[in-house]
Amino acid sequence: MTEQRLVLQNCGRVDPANIDSWLAAGGFAALDRARAEHTPEEVIAWLKASGLRGRGGAGFPTGLKWELTSKSAGPERYVICNADEGEVGTFKDRYILERDPFTLIEAIAIACYAIGARRAFIYLRDEYRDLLPHLRNAIVAAHSSYPLGCEIQIREAAGAYVCGEESGLMESIEGRRGEPRFRPPFPPSSGLWAKPTVIQNVETLMNVPAIIRNGPEWFAGIGTAQSKGTKVFSVSGDVAQSCVCEVPMGTPLREVVEGIAGAHDIKMVQVGGASGRVVPSARLDTPLAYEGVLGAGAITVYGEGRDTIEIGLRTLEFFAEECCGKCSPCRQGCEALVGILERLAQSRARASDLSLLRDIADNMMLASLCGLGQAAPNFVVDTLQAFGDEYLARVLA
Amino acid sequence: MPAVTLNGVQVEASQGTTILDLARQHGVWIPTLCYHPELSLNGSCRLCVVEVRGSRTLVGACHTPVAPNMVITTDSPAVLKSRRLTVELLLASHSGNCWSCDKANLCELRHIAVELDVGPLPITLRKPFRTLEALGAHVVRDPTKCVLCRRCVRACREIKGAGLLAIAYRGFSCKVIIGQDDADGDAACESCDVCVGVCPVGALSKRADRFVPKTGQPLVVAG
Ligand SMILES: Cc1cc2nc3c(=O)[nH]c(=O)nc-3n(C[C@H](O)[C@H](O)[C@H](O)COP(=O)(O)O)c2cc1C
Ligand code: SF4
Repeated sequence: MTEQRLVLQNCGRVDPANIDSWLAAGGFAALDRARAEHTPEEVIAWLKASGLRGRGGAGFPTGLKWELTSKSAGPERYVICNADEGEVGTFKDRYILERDPFTLIEAIAIACYAIGARRAFIYLRDEYRDLLPHLRNAIVAAHSSYPLGCEIQIREAAGAYVCGEESGLMESIEGRRGEPRFRPPFPPSSGLWAKPTVIQNVETLMNVPAIIRNGPEWFAGIGTAQSKGTKVFSVSGDVAQSCVCEVPMGTPLREVVEGIAGAHDIKMVQVGGASGRVVPSARLDTPLAYEGVLGAGAITVYGEGRDTIEIGLRTLEFFAEECCGKCSPCRQGCEALVGILERLAQSRARASDLSLLRDIADNMMLASLCGLGQAAPNFVVDTLQAFGDEYLARVLA
Repeated sequence: MPAVTLNGVQVEASQGTTILDLARQHGVWIPTLCYHPELSLNGSCRLCVVEVRGSRTLVGACHTPVAPNMVITTDSPAVLKSRRLTVELLLASHSGNCWSCDKANLCELRHIAVELDVGPLPITLRKPFRTLEALGAHVVRDPTKCVLCRRCVRACREIKGAGLLAIAYRGFSCKVIIGQDDADGDAACESCDVCVGVCPVGALSKRADRFVPKTGQPLVVAG
């Protein structure tokens, strides 16, 4: 349908095990160009002008993040590529890591050049351990065919969803228990080992070489007013064909789930995984963009006949399992929400449970220390609004 | 000297002051549980949350430095509702036998609950069963009363310099452990008492202090 391959342009076209095929396809042209034609400040200015924003969920402007980091004092800084991809239903970073590791390495080298870092880390999801040899080989091959100007190391995660959260990730790399930190300070001023740090999602970085090659105006010409470029999605659930696809920002959700993935008789779509927002079928024309719905790139389709309460219970069980336990609203709140949803699932909830559900959810969203607790109730909050009668039907008379 | 607005009043704050420090300087009460002046900041209990204009979420007062022109509200309905619910959530899985607890009227959690007008609990939560544990020869631990503020963990590391206590497991199963959470995990513990002194609730106590009648004003519990 409307696929546009920018991030995924090399996927399937180059041999990820053979750097020569990637070099022949123009590999390192962007790094060459960045170093030969631009100062680090200019690279950052280009990124700012491109309008690129983070693809890992929060959507922070990437150029601004690099600028803040490059202006922080101190000789030591780091670049981290967040390849923890823990969000339920996301498998687009894995797709990229498998098929085009060299462009990612090039992007990391450009980031290091722009902010003046000499060391970079790829934080690789534990469940992606099978990709380790492949990525290590790619880094070695890149190092031996081009002076990258930085050292790139892989750090293996240990299997916690919350370690995808940037400050928990940094605690984990530093060798401590992977728990989020309070902020401020933010990573651009105090990140890994309290040094200025740029941390980006795999997909965010994959946009950088293309921006350097084609210029910021080209990139800013794709997408919508506040969402530039394309977005890669992993689509799964009640669809004819689960897939990874890339579309311009602003594409209506309907085109992806019905057009590309072939879903029909949709009840609702969860955009952004377990922590994502719920779009009922009546609003399938919502644009996939920061100003519409977006999230980290998971699109999960639920067909008619799916039980909202059961999905909610499973979602909250996931968060109760993955909650780190540091802060009270989330640690106690996840447990309490699971209890209420269990009562609802067994049709023995009290009327007061529904207002309690809402109060606990509100408190988690407002008072939790990190994004996990703040986003965990999203499914429940959204479906209470869209499918409130299903909740009411499970309350004891 | 950033000028900030605290509960509608313009005040001066010195650079680097936290919202909590500023509030205390002006006699504004903000409840805290994990905060302790002698220990590093932690930000985990979320009882010190306040409203800062322009912020999507509530903000932890103990760890957030004031910034120029910040507009801070420490007692809005949203703030009070959040603190109350967090206390209710903590109490819901707390062992709850306050009437026979060693901490009695010195319990910080009960003080905060009274201050916030927390009455009968609307929430039912699992109360994990856990046995009493020894820390060395003189300290007894009751994990069912622990609110996971981590003051003991930090005190053991930062004041005693031993670092024997740690947080283990995750989510609702979180627990303060010593050693590998095994029977002789406390072998290196000298029972120095530092942790007992900082515990806000009755999770840590000295064996010698048990059975000693408490003095002072009884705590009137509202609700
Ligand atoms: C609970 C939680 C889990 C997260 N997991 C991931 C993840 O697996 N991958 C990722 O790129 N970002 C994840 N994030 C977002 C990161 O904290 C951070 O915003 C992101 O890595 C920044 O990169 P970006 O600006 O390129 O998106 C997570 C956030 C939270 C709160
Ligand atoms: S919100 Fe949840 S996951 Fe995040 S710090 Fe608090 S307890 Fe841990």
